[in-house]
Amino acid sequence: MADLVLQFSRVAYERSGRRLLDGVGLSLRAGEAVALVGANGAGKTTLLRAAAGLLPATTGDITATGLDPRTAAPAAAARRRIYAEQHPSCAWDQTVAELGALGGRPAAWKDWAGRLALTDLAERPLASLSGGERQAAHLARLFASLEEPYGALLLLDEPTAALDRGRRETVHAAVRAWAQAGAAVLVATHDEAWARAFPRVIALEEGRLIADGPPAAVFTAGLVCAVWAGSPA
Amino acid sequence: MRLGRGALVGGTAGLVLLAAGALACGTAGGGFGEGGALALLRFPRVAAAIAAGAALGLGGATQQGLFRNPLADPGLTGVFGGALLGLAALLGGAPGFAWAHAWSLPAAAFAGALGVSGLLVLLGREGPPARLLLTGLGLNAFAAAGTLLIANLAPESRELLLNGSFGDWLGMASPELIVRPLLICAGAGAALLTLARPLDLLALGEEAAQTAGCDLRRLRRRAIVLTALAAAAATCLVGQMAFVGLLAPHLARALVGPRHGLVLPLSAVLGAALLLTADTLGRAALPGTPLSAAAVMALLGAPLFVWIARRHHG
Repeated sequence: MADLVLQFSRVAYERSGRRLLDGVGLSLRAGEAVALVGANGAGKTTLLRAAAGLLPATTGDITATGLDPRTAAPAAAARRRIYAEQHPSCAWDQTVAELGALGGRPAAWKDWAGRLALTDLAERPLASLSGGERQAAHLARLFASLEEPYGALLLLDEPTAALDRGRRETVHAAVRAWAQAGAAVLVATHDEAWARAFPRVIALEEGRLIADGPPAAVFTAGLVCAVWAGSPA
Repeated sequence: MRLGRGALVGGTAGLVLLAAGALACGTAGGGFGEGGALALLRFPRVAAAIAAGAALGLGGATQQGLFRNPLADPGLTGVFGGALLGLAALLGGAPGFAWAHAWSLPAAAFAGALGVSGLLVLLGREGPPARLLLTGLGLNAFAAAGTLLIANLAPESRELLLNGSFGDWLGMASPELIVRPLLICAGAGAALLTLARPLDLLALGEEAAQTAGCDLRRLRRRAIVLTALAAAAATCLVGQMAFVGLLAPHLARALVGPRHGLVLPLSAVLGAALLLTADTLGRAALPGTPLSAAAVMALLGAPLFVWIARRHHG
C-alpha cells in the first residue's frame, strides 16, 4: 500500500530475560494520528524505539517510511522521520537558539520557537531553563527539522509530559495539523483526556498489543484500569 | 556573551603575532638575526610547536565531543602515552630501521595511539564520565611504564625516550624530522574539521544523534582513527604533552559556545597558541636553564585544570 507509513508484524524484543515487546502487529497510514497508551513498563517507549531503529535486536518485520529502520542508513531513515525522546539531553551548555540551529532550517525553527513561547528564551542556556522549557526547546528543534509532512513518520514519546497548558495545546494542534497534512503520528502519552481526543488508540500491556481502535472501543472499564492504573484488566 | 567567528579571526591573528615573537626569541638573544638567519634556525621548532599544538587542541575537542565528556583529552586518556609507547617499541627494538625509514616513526606512534584508543572505547565509553577518565589514566600509566621499561632495556635510545616522556622533543626539531609529522597533522586536522556536524548531533545523546541521521559507527571510526593520527604526529614532534588538548577546547567553548563548527578550528588555533607560548616561555624566560614545553604547560595548565574541574562540577 502506497500510503502505509509504519508496519509492525510479529515484532518481539527481549532484554535481560524480560519480553518487552511480544508479537506486536500494527500499521499506520499517512494521515493517521494514533495515541499509544499503557501503564508504566507496558512497552510504549520500547515500541517507539523499535520503530525508530534503535533496537536492532528486535525480531519480526518492521517497515518505517518504506525502510527497515534496523538496517537502513541513519541519514536515509531520518529524512522522513522524527523521534522525540522522553528525556532529551544535551552534553554542552547550548542556548535554545543553538539547539534549534541543529535542525538546519532556521526559518522553520523561528516559527516553532514562537509557537512554543521560546522566542524570549532564545539566548538562554538550556541549563538555566525549567524542565518544561527544555522539553519545548527540544521539540522546537525536532518539529522545525521536518521538511515535508506527507508520508513522514512522527514518533513522539510523552511530548507534553512536562509542558504547561499553552505549550501542550500547541503540541496537540501540531499533531492534528501534521496528520491532516499526511503524516503518520504515533504519540505515547499518559494524558487520558488527550488520548481520548485521538481518532485511534493502541493500548499495550506487558509488551502485548491488547486493543487497537477508536477511543470509545478501547477505553472500556477494564482496559482503563489496566492502562491507567497498571492493574490487570 | 559568545564571540562567533570574530574569535577565530582574532585567535589566528594572535597566533601569527605569537609565532613572530617566538621566531624572535631565543637563548642566543632576541631578534631575527642577520638576514633572518636566527629566525630561520628557529623556524622548524616554531612550526613543530604550532602543528603539534593544533593537533592536540583538535584531538582534545574531538575526544570531548565524541565521548560527550568535558574531561576527555588525548594527553590524559593515554592516547599520547600509547603513541609514545609505539615509538619506544620501534626505537628500542629496531633503532637502525627507525632512523633509516623516517615514515616508520609516525607509523609506530599511530599504531600505539590507535591501540590505546581502541581499548579506551572498549573499556571506558559506557557509564559515568569518570569511568572514561579513570580508564584513560590507567592506560596512560601503563603506557608510560611500558615506555620506561623499554628505555631501560635499550640504552642507546634511553635519553631520547626519557626526553619524549617529558615532552622535550621540540628542541631537536629539524626540517627532515618534522616534515612528515607536519603533513600528517595538516591532513588529520583538515579531516577532523569535517566532523563538526555529527559531533554537534552527538551532543544530544547517541540515540537522538542516530535518529537525526548521524551514522555513529562511521563517526566513531573516523574520529578515533583521525585523533590517533593527530596524536601520533604531535607525539613525534613534541613527545608526551598533557593539558593542551584539555584546555584549548574549554577556552574555545567559553569564547564561541558549543558549536563544533567553531569549537574545532578555534581549539586548533588555541592549542597551537598555548603550546607555542609554553615552548617560547620555557626557552626564553630563564636564560641558561630552559624548561621543556611540557613542564611549562603543566605549570600553567594544572591550575587551569583544577579551575575547569571545579567549574564543571559546581
